[in-house]
Amino acid sequence: MFKATIDADILKSSIETLSVLVDEARFRISTEGLSVRAVDPANVAMVSFELAASAFTDFAADDCEIGMDLTKVNDIFGVAEKNEKATLELDELSQKMSIYIGGFSYTLSLLDPSTIRAEPRIPQLELPAEVVLNGKELQKAVKAAEKISDHMSLGVDGDIFYMEAEGDTDKVRLEMPRDQLIDLRSGEARSLFSLDYLSDIVKPASKSNEVTLELGKDYPIKIGFTIAEGAGKISYLLAPRIESD
Amino acid sequence: MTSFREFCRICKIIEETTGSLDMTGFVSELFSLVTSEELPIVTHFVMGEIFPAWSDEEVGLGPGLLLNALSRSSGLPLKEIEKIVRETGDVGKTAVKALGKASKEQVTFSSFLDSSVELSIIEVFERFRNIAHATGKGSQTSRIKHLQYLFSSASAEEVGYIARLAIEDMRIGVGEGIVRDAIAKAFNVPVASVERGYMLTNDMGLVAVTAKEGGNEALSDLGLQIGRPIKLMLAQVTPDIETAIKDLGVVAAEWKFDGARVQIHKKNDDISLYSRRLENITGSLPDIVSAVKKAIKADSAILDGEVVAIGEDGRPRPFQEILKRFRRKYNVQDKVRHIPLTLNLFDIMYLNDESLIELPLQERRKFLVASIENNDLVRVDEQLITSDSLQINNMYEQALQAGHEGIMIKNPGSPYSPGKRGKNWLKKKPIMETLDLVVIGAEWGYGRRTSFLGSYALACYDPETGRFLSVGKVATGISDEQLAELTELFREHIISESGISVEIRPHILFEVAFEEIQKSINYGSGYALRFPRLVRIRDDKSLEEVDTLERLEDMYRTQRK
Repeated sequence: MFKATIDADILKSSIETLSVLVDEARFRISTEGLSVRAVDPANVAMVSFELAASAFTDFAADDCEIGMDLTKVNDIFGVAEKNEKATLELDELSQKMSIYIGGFSYTLSLLDPSTIRAEPRIPQLELPAEVVLNGKELQKAVKAAEKISDHMSLGVDGDIFYMEAEGDTDKVRLEMPRDQLIDLRSGEARSLFSLDYLSDIVKPASKSNEVTLELGKDYPIKIGFTIAEGAGKISYLLAPRIESD
Repeated sequence: MTSFREFCRICKIIEETTGSLDMTGFVSELFSLVTSEELPIVTHFVMGEIFPAWSDEEVGLGPGLLLNALSRSSGLPLKEIEKIVRETGDVGKTAVKALGKASKEQVTFSSFLDSSVELSIIEVFERFRNIAHATGKGSQTSRIKHLQYLFSSASAEEVGYIARLAIEDMRIGVGEGIVRDAIAKAFNVPVASVERGYMLTNDMGLVAVTAKEGGNEALSDLGLQIGRPIKLMLAQVTPDIETAIKDLGVVAAEWKFDGARVQIHKKNDDISLYSRRLENITGSLPDIVSAVKKAIKADSAILDGEVVAIGEDGRPRPFQEILKRFRRKYNVQDKVRHIPLTLNLFDIMYLNDESLIELPLQERRKFLVASIENNDLVRVDEQLITSDSLQINNMYEQALQAGHEGIMIKNPGSPYSPGKRGKNWLKKKPIMETLDLVVIGAEWGYGRRTSFLGSYALACYDPETGRFLSVGKVATGISDEQLAELTELFREHIISESGISVEIRPHILFEVAFEEIQKSINYGSGYALRFPRLVRIRDDKSLEEVDTLERLEDMYRTQRK
């Protein structure tokens, strides 16, 4: 059983945090809320997503698992207007989700969750450095890097967090000392990432005032932030590109 | 579960083996080694297929996506990858080299696990299936990412074969013949049973697993199945009617319609239509589907026929008009109105749960006539049984006058042999004239043909403007030696290069044969050639003798008389 009502905006931005990486996702539903863990087809980026029951105005659910085509859900929420509510109701027998939004009533066929790729084993990572900054700053840096290259380095050097991109001929570097950051835990960190992925991930992250980056040396990066006034938690993990000599 | 690494190890051995007997041995060793679940996959993989030919599933990865995925995995720019392709001439070697010299390689989460993850044969297949099933907006990206995953998870030896599988060209020299013999050897069944099973099912993977699990007995139970198209029987060209009669004696002669071949499967009220290339085209031809439903008086049947588009003047419309129908996926009804089709049936392979393919044509014909009730759109056309060349000549003249291609001359005692182009079916049609056209461009080839120029762009001459106008490309009828020769010949005439395309100074003439001239908006002349084939280089002719646009226009007008 699952029936819930929520601000359409919140659900829309929630789905977007997932759809930047995957086209379909497996949602775990429980009395606590919704959660998803999904990995992109290349096994390079993954997202873990939790939306607590408190993010909803009404929420009633038993434990279950459903699969949804995110492209279709995105399309449906495209019609939503500001401050509109959306109500979701699951019909387990027919495996369909009814979505009521702005006078529309959609019936969405669900996907068999077992056909959606399971998340792979994820390594235990110890990431020594941590940086907390405004999502806008991060997006600015990624945009600047995209003009020059298809990859960028993120690192911590003492009390400075830096982002750096190098193209065939040109180079860009942005330094942010501790006092320009919300928080910084210093540690040895420098890793290189594909901008393809980073720019997809910073899109939803840029809306958050507080984005936490956890970094290591030639190690995956963890990018975390909250949505729905803290009731939703998003965390991305992105594998690096490794420079060989 | 067998690892993909093991599969590659044996492929490598096969690739380095020259004798087909030895190759058969290694392939059969591979077949014995894998599980029943893996066997059909491996059977297709060694031949460079992912899915059986009859299947609707298609990987559809062009070299473009493949190189893109390699660029992402290796961190090398696309230009660099393209350069390696040109050097190595092989996508497999390109993959090995590109990932070998990766400077900023994209790693996956697996790199951070304590134990390494090894790709299994099943997983590789699953990923290709994901690629085949990807649809919609983000499908291009997700295809590239699946491929990227395979490259990132594979060892150096494996990436080469993954790249080759992706474009379905294994290049280890294993074809149907070797696979057939290897199945026989691995599971101790007669070659003839394997051959028969393949002919009826069109699926070597199914044949292999049947042989493994049930031996010869199970193989002989394999048969035609509604919904699994078989290869069509093909015809050889006969130089003239007299020769055909001399070879066959009494013959069965039929019109050869100017249309497109279709295979019809019926089970109760379900009708499926397949093209010559065994694509399911049911959705594009609703008019034919409903007409066929009415015409067939049988619960189940598999039939062979030719779909024809007849114009208002009662003559067949050009082949490309029919293709417009076949390729149509949306607004199908619109095309039904604009390009009405009719279906001429000429053979039956299966009727009420029984295979008829081993019966002689004469007998099949009786069943065909008895089970079809002609209507406006569907009919069984006339057949003439005779050894009188005069009668056949008359039929030939009539067919041509009606605007069709010619006639078929068949052995009335012959079985239906799927996929065979033998002497039991002969076709007689007039030989088209050829055109002398000038080469104005070419493309650097792929694969075996990388360092050669192929796919030559042709042009006719427009004396009014003094310009050369393109009429399409020719890529067939060129042998490997000729390719090398032509590449040398054209080298000094290259004006510019961009990517794989090359612009060539108009200088050298090709004599090109073709089946038909078509209207085309893609080329400067407004015409294109259907099935162009290089006959020879006209080094005896000079640039002034290039055929003119006027001559093309004339030929287009007269070709359907």
